[in-house]
Formats: sequence, C-alpha cells, structure tokens
Amino acid sequence: MQLTELVDYAKSLDCVHCGLCLHTCPTYLLTGNESSSPRGRIHLMRSVAEGAAEADADFAEEMDFCLLCRHCESVCPSGVRFGRMMETTRAGLAESRQRPHVEQLARDFGFGTVLPSRAWLSMLAGLARFGQRLGLDRAAAAFLGERGAPIASMPPVPPADERRPLPRYTPAEGEVTGEVAVLEGCVMPELFGRVNRATVACLSAAGREVHCSRGATCCGSLHAHNGERALARRLTRETVEAHEALEAEVGTALPMVVNSAGCAAHLVEAHEVFAEDDPFVPRARAFAAKVIDFSRAFDGEARDRLAARLGRGPARRVAWDDPCHLCHGQGVRDEPRALIDLLPDVERVELEDSEACCGSAGVYSLARPADAAGVFAPKRDAFARSGADALVTGNPGCHLQWHAGLRAAGDDAPVLHLAELVAERLTPTPAGDAR
Amino acid sequence: MDRALLHELRAILGPRGLIEDRTRRVAYECDGLAFERRVPELVLLPADTAQAARCMRALHDHGVPVVPRGAGTGLTGGATPVEGGVVIGTARMRRVLELDPVDRIARVEAGLVNVELSRAAAKHGLFYAPDPSSQRACTLGGNVANNAGGPHCFRHGNTTRHVVGLVAVMHDGEVLDLSEPRVDPLGDDLVGLLVGSEGMFALVTEITVRLTPAPQRVETLLAVFDDLDAACDAVSEMIAEQLEPSALEILDKLTIEAVEASVFAAGYPPDAEAVLLIEVEGSDAEVEANSAGIARVLERRGALETRRATGDEERAKLWAGRKGAYGAMGRVAPDLYVTDVVVPRTKLRELVRRTTEICRERGLKVANVFHAGDGNLHPNVSYDRRDPDEVARVLDAGEKIMEVCIEAGGTLSGEHGIGLEKQKQMHLYFSPADLDAMERPRDVFDPARRMNPGKTLPIRACMETRTRPIAAASSDPAARRASPDAAAAQSTSDRERPR
Ligand SMILES: Cc1cc2nc3c(=O)[nH]c(=O)nc-3n(C[C@H](O)[C@H](O)[C@H](O)COP(=O)(O)OP(=O)(O)OC[C@H]3O[C@@H](n4cnc5c(N)ncnc54)[C@H](O)[C@@H]3O)c2cc1C
Ligand code: SF4
Ligand code: SF4
Repeated sequence: MQLTELVDYAKSLDCVHCGLCLHTCPTYLLTGNESSSPRGRIHLMRSVAEGAAEADADFAEEMDFCLLCRHCESVCPSGVRFGRMMETTRAGLAESRQRPHVEQLARDFGFGTVLPSRAWLSMLAGLARFGQRLGLDRAAAAFLGERGAPIASMPPVPPADERRPLPRYTPAEGEVTGEVAVLEGCVMPELFGRVNRATVACLSAAGREVHCSRGATCCGSLHAHNGERALARRLTRETVEAHEALEAEVGTALPMVVNSAGCAAHLVEAHEVFAEDDPFVPRARAFAAKVIDFSRAFDGEARDRLAARLGRGPARRVAWDDPCHLCHGQGVRDEPRALIDLLPDVERVELEDSEACCGSAGVYSLARPADAAGVFAPKRDAFARSGADALVTGNPGCHLQWHAGLRAAGDDAPVLHLAELVAERLTPTPAGDAR
Repeated sequence: MDRALLHELRAILGPRGLIEDRTRRVAYECDGLAFERRVPELVLLPADTAQAARCMRALHDHGVPVVPRGAGTGLTGGATPVEGGVVIGTARMRRVLELDPVDRIARVEAGLVNVELSRAAAKHGLFYAPDPSSQRACTLGGNVANNAGGPHCFRHGNTTRHVVGLVAVMHDGEVLDLSEPRVDPLGDDLVGLLVGSEGMFALVTEITVRLTPAPQRVETLLAVFDDLDAACDAVSEMIAEQLEPSALEILDKLTIEAVEASVFAAGYPPDAEAVLLIEVEGSDAEVEANSAGIARVLERRGALETRRATGDEERAKLWAGRKGAYGAMGRVAPDLYVTDVVVPRTKLRELVRRTTEICRERGLKVANVFHAGDGNLHPNVSYDRRDPDEVARVLDAGEKIMEVCIEAGGTLSGEHGIGLEKQKQMHLYFSPADLDAMERPRDVFDPARRMNPGKTLPIRACMETRTRPIAAASSDPAARRASPDAAAAQSTSDRERPR
C-alpha cells in the first residue's frame, strides 16, 4: 500500500495547523500530549504520507486512542473533515497491521459475525440475560479485572418480551400527518427495545404511519469508525436496499427516522463510505438525504399533534447531553431542547460542556475502559453541578456510558432516551387541557 | 539522550509526563509557522512548578537546551526546537489556583487556556481583557511569553498591562517567586522583564493577572464598505477624533468569503469589500456618545450600512467569525503565513494597499484581517509549503512588508513576537548597540544560552549577519526610522504606549 493511501493525504492538507481544535479534544485534555490532539493526529497522518514519520505501533495507538467524537470538526474554521480522515486512516491500518491473534479473532467475530446478524445478537442477548440472572457477569468481570469493567457495569438485559422486534407497520393515531420509516438497529432492539417502542409511540401519536423494514440489521457505522471498510460498505448497502424495498412496497418515499445519533451520523453521509466512482453512490446519496434524527421528526403539524397528546408525567428536572454524533456529526443542537421544552412537568437545565464526549464512542468504552472512564469523569462532575435529577440522551452508546458511569459514582439518577421522556407523558387521548 | 538523564526525568514525571517515542514527538516539530521544523529529542509535560523545577535542574546538569511550549499556536516559530533539545510543555498545568473577585486578581498555572480564565472570571462579573483570536487554544504562559494582544487590547492594553505577578523556573531549576501582586514593584520590575521574553529568560509556571469588571454596557457594530480604502480611512479618522471604541477590526473581502464558508459564518455580507467590526463599551452615556460619534464618521466615509448586534448571541457570532478568520483561510490553500506588523494609524490606507501589492507582485494570494485600531496589520498569505519556490516568494514578501512598514514609521511586531520569523529583520529596526543591550539580560538569565536557543536575537559576528536558514534572500539593513507611536506598540515597550 502507498503511504499516501494509508491516510487521506488530500484531506490532511486542509489543516493550517492553527491549533484552535486542541482544547476541545478529550484525549488531549486527558493527557496534554499534542500527538493525542486533532492537530497532532493530522500532523502525524501527513508526516506518514510524506515519509517523515512511520506508521508504527505508536502511530496506530494514537489513532486508536481517538474517540472519533468529531468535536474537532465543530470548531475547525478550516473545515477539516476529521471523521472521514480518521476512518480512512483506520481502514489503512486495519489492512496493514498485525494485531494479536486473539484480538483479531474477537474483532472478526464481533464486527463480521455478530453485529450483522439478528440471530447472533438475539442469542447473545439471551445468554447475557441468563448470565446476569445467575450472577455470572460479576464473576466474569472479577476474573477479567480492568478489561471486565464494561461487563460489570452493563445494564440488565431486558426480558425476551421487551426484546421482541418492532411491528412492520404501526398505524397513526388519529388523522394521518404523514408516513415514515424507523431504523430498528442492531443492538437497539436487544438492549433498548423500550426506546424503539417509545420512538414509534411518539411518531404514531403525532399522526405518522410508521413502517419498519426487516431487510437489514446493522447499518455499518461501527464498522466504518473502526476501519472495517469492506464490511461497512456491505452493511450500508444492505440498509439502503432494505429502505428502497420498503418504499417500493409502501409505494411512496419515506423519511428514515433514526433514534441512534451514531447511526444517523453515519447514514446522513452514507454515500461517503463508497469509492467516489462506485455506481451505488447516487442511490446511497438519495437515501442519505432522507435520514433524520428522532428529534427532528416533529415539524409543524406533527409537532402540534404531539403537543396536544402530552399530559402529566413524573416531574423531572433533566439535563440534555448532546451526543457527539448529533451535535458535531449532524449539527443538531436546538431540536432536542425544543422538544424537551414542550413537555409538561419537565424542567430543563443546561449541562456544562454538554457537547464534550462522554467516552462511550461506539465500542471504545469496551476496548479502552480506562480511557473511557477518564473522559467520562468531567461529565459526571458537570451532571452533579447541574442540579438535574435525570439525564437525557439520544444515542444508545451514550445511554450505556451514562448509566454505568453514574452507577459507578453511586448516583442512581435515571438515564433516559429523549423518546422515552416524551413517551412517558403521552396520554391515551388528545389532552388539550393538559398544558 | 543521556541514559542517566532519561532515568532521572522518568522518575520525576512518571509515565504520562514524558514523550519519548519519535512518532509522537513529531507533533512537536513546529508551531503555527510550518516553514521550519525540527523534532525535539524529548518532550516533558510536568504537572506543577515543583516537577518543572526538578526537570530544569536535571537538564541544566546535563547541559541540554530547553524550549518552553504552551499550545503551539504561536505564529513565529517561537516554540519550535530549532537547535534540538527538550521541549517542556505546560499542557498538564492548567489549574486556576486562586480567583479573588474582590481584589480582582487570579493566580493560574501557565498552561491554562486563555478562554478558561475568562470563563472562570465571568462567574464573578469580571473578564480577562487580552483576548487573542487564538484564545480558545493558546495558554496564558504563551501569552505572557509573547506579550499577546487581541481585539480588545485596543482599549485595555496587551498582556503586560494585566500581569501583576509570576512564578518562573530559571535555567538551573531555581524557582523565582514573584507571585505577590505588585502594581509598582520595589526594586527592579522583573515581572515586566519576563513578559515578552519569548521563553528565553525562564520557564513561567504560574501567572497572577488582573481581572477587569465587565462593562455596564457593550455595543457591537458592523459597518459594511464597498471599498477597503474607505474602511481604513474611517479608522484613521476615528483615531484622529479621539473616539474610544474598545475594539476596531477590519476584515477584507477574501477573509469575509472564507469565514462565511466556515462553521463560524457570522453573517458578514458576502458582497462587501470590507467590514469594520467595532465594539464600544462603558456606561450608558459613554456608549451613546461614542456610538454617535462613530456613526457620524462611518457615514462620512461612505459605509453602506451599519448593523448593531441586537443580543449577546449575535455579538458572539460576529466575534467568532473574526476569531476564526485565520483558520478559515485554510480553505484557500494548505498553509498560511501571517505577518504581524504595526504601522502609524494615519497611514493605514496606504500601507494596506502597499502590502497587498507586494504580495500580488509575487503572485501570492493575500487576505487582510487586522487590529485596525492599533495599526496592527496581519496580511494573511496563503501558500503551499511543498512548493519551495512559493515558500521563497512568501518569505520575500514578508521581508518586504516589514521593510516598507518600518520605513513608514512602523515596527516589526504588534503581538506575535519575533521568534524565528523576524530574527533577521531585527537589524532593520534596532542598531547594533540596541541589540547588544538586549543580549545583556540574557547573560543574567541564561548565561549558557540553553533557554529557547536560536530565537529572537540574530547571531552576529564580524559585522556580518547570520540567522537561521529561514531567511531566504538577504536585504540591506535599512536605517531605523521609527515614529514613537508605532514603536510604542512593539512587544516589550507596551507600557509606555500612548492611550
Ligand atoms: C488563529 C490564530 C490567531 C491568533 N491571534 C492572535 C492575536 O489576536 N493576538 C496575539 O497576540 N497572538 C495571536 N496569535 C498567536 C499566538 O496564539 C499567541 O502568540 C499566543 O500567545 C501563543 O500562545 P501558546 O500557548 O500557543 O504558545 P506557544 O506557541 O506554545 O509558544 C509561544 C512562545 O512562548 C514561549 N512559551 C510558551 N509557554 C511558556 C512558558 N510557560 N514560559 C516561558 N515561555 C513560554 C514559547 O517558547 C514560544 O516562544 C494567533 C495564533 C493563531 C493560530
Ligand atoms: S482547527 Fe482545523 S485547521 Fe486548525 S489545527 Fe485543528 S484541524 Fe487544523
Ligand atoms: S475526534 Fe474527538 S478524540 Fe478524535 S481528535 Fe477529534 S476531538 Fe479528539
């Protein structure tokens, strides 16, 4: 492989080395080491391409250490597309480097076998639940030491009933305001079936007919982030094709509502995982334009309809934590807040540095638990200072990280997905007088 | 690197405190000036003054050169280890040690990022006035070393006016504690001497600064011009009329286009030839009077439109656009060279024109975004460092710009310091006797010349000038003809600046 192909040389030239991104980077804040900063990483990539540095183990480690939170993109005046660059570099590294045998096997199994398969995912979720009930998880965690931390902090896997798939079609409640599709996801139905159901409930209450396709499982975002480019392409393609098939069946174009910020950030740029001259690009691009985050699915009429259905619910003072791939990846900041502000009995407080990464970062918290905990620490403190009694997010990884992180600190504040917070206030019938 | 020394440093700093492998050290081979690069032999990241002092002692014992580094946002190569040696970074020293809202004093570690200090101060209705455009990244230590300025320094003065105490580690590891805030020191003003010393006197580890009460009222105006000359003239006229805005910045068309294409799009009109960003602060009466005067000048000078920011959000946006301007220029070419010269404010129009011509004559793309109120020009020249011919033309243009500005009564640097970039031009401005005088304090602070070697002062021998290879072409040292106004804006003599 050419050095200039190992990294995205052309994009690395967009960086003028101004350093304005340093202070937002969680890994730089953690270590103070400039090679763990966005500018440093870009400088290393560029140096590798120009033959001035080697793509050695230290280089690979710095690339792995990055959370791919893309905070650096939000503050870069030069428009550096760091996320894409890092995905390319990781893909280059994945092809060129030798990982320890066991680690490679685990990666192949996780990325290649489990994530793309509903059967595997269900079976493992079932096993995990069984293990948790017998207390085997704690034993395994103790046995694995630090590496086992994620097992110990995993939330209870819900019972099989909660893990059932979403219905293929859910009618609108009341007059129809439109039709949408929802992405069911890979891990979502296993761990967060209730969030998926809440998502559908909110959409239906807002007058949307909700479709859900069965054709695809994982959208490939985790693969793209981790350098598994070939698999990422396959899975992204399957997701696009499944959506096209659904649209053909329903007979109309459908917006794709996604309740996982990480997946949505990947899918709004679905075309970019393919080579520029890939004939699939136009189809991926057309699909990408239809993808919207859950918080943006309620405009105009749908919003009014939803508002009319809101009634009293548990009084909460909540803090919204911007998922990185929502604020930095999709530029969505106001909509979730506006939705929360619509809710009766909910007071919203701002979380300091809410746009900073919580350390979940996809599979990062599994692969590097100590670093993930280090990145989380300031978030936990900010939450404590905020005075909120519940944390609201919009991404399953962040959900797990917050849940585990707060529990580890002895805080049992509930962690909710935005859809859950809304759904717990839905009344059976229009409640015009509820507000 | 000597094994015994490495061993000792590891013991002092622990595993996360030093960077040994070459790959990671590559990230420290330059600062914001990418022409000249050299990978340091080792990078140290002490966590506090005590660790820093022990490191400095060990390095002294082994005679190793030391280059202090903050965030590496400097634009003159100040933090580049041109002569090898060890880089000591302050990135792990970023605590606010003390903030006294009554005395309006804060004591902070040198690695604290400028904006974090403002954030801490804002909770008490105070602010830290020097606000370099790089404030979201640059450190207080770097600000002190370069005597940094910023848009609001027009009213409030550069860093040196706000630093009242320091703790510094000397070349041999001795800790010099000058942290007791003294506005008028008994004896020598060592703090004043250290501010602006570009890392050549000592490693600063703690800084005590004065905080300023937030003004009663702030008003931000954006004046739109279809002519850059007219915008410059408007500034000269405001100065002549003794109007006192707190900030007065000009952005030209190319800059506006780049900013509007970036994440910091501020709503500057894309068809304008120039915009003037003005801030007025003070009591209601002051703001009213000043704004009215300014509005009259703007009208006389043919401003197409003057917008008034309506709320904090809009104001923040207008400023974010200004402060992101340098980075936004990255859209134009891979590298950027920013000159930093000061000119008499009566000659803004002619010198902005002249600097632009100088760049155009050499086939270079230049954008102008500058602290107009201070007469502090920043021609931003885009280039590609992989093209040696273009690099040579850029250097040549930079040199010519400095020459022209000095001839017109200006000076070498307003805020970025001398570093590597302007070493050679020191001759244009200072006589051999001046330069000798500048060597003398170095003899005191750093007799062995181990502190940030190869910076600022040109190496002189037998009437000949030798500088670092950055100097591409040579030019005759012109006689020094400086007007007192411009000379006063130069780094170390900021205190005497007429206000
Ligand atoms: C986008 C952009 C905008 C800028 N705008 C401005 C502006 O408006 N005004 C302005 O003045 N500058 C500006 N600069 C230049 C630069 O940000 C300042 O010079 C800043 O003060 C440098 O701080 P730093 O922490 O990055 O220091 P560095 O670049 O790391 O170092 C700068 C110099 O200080 C020395 N140094 C650093 N820390 C210490 C210490 N603790 N003790 C002793 N010496 C030390 C270094 O050796 C070096 O000589 C800008 C730069 C960029 C990239
Ligand atoms: S902010 Fe952008 S241009 Fe500046 S150093 Fe970071 S990535 Fe490079
Ligand atoms: S993506 Fe996040 S962790 Fe990676 S360099 Fe950017 S800011 Fe740092």
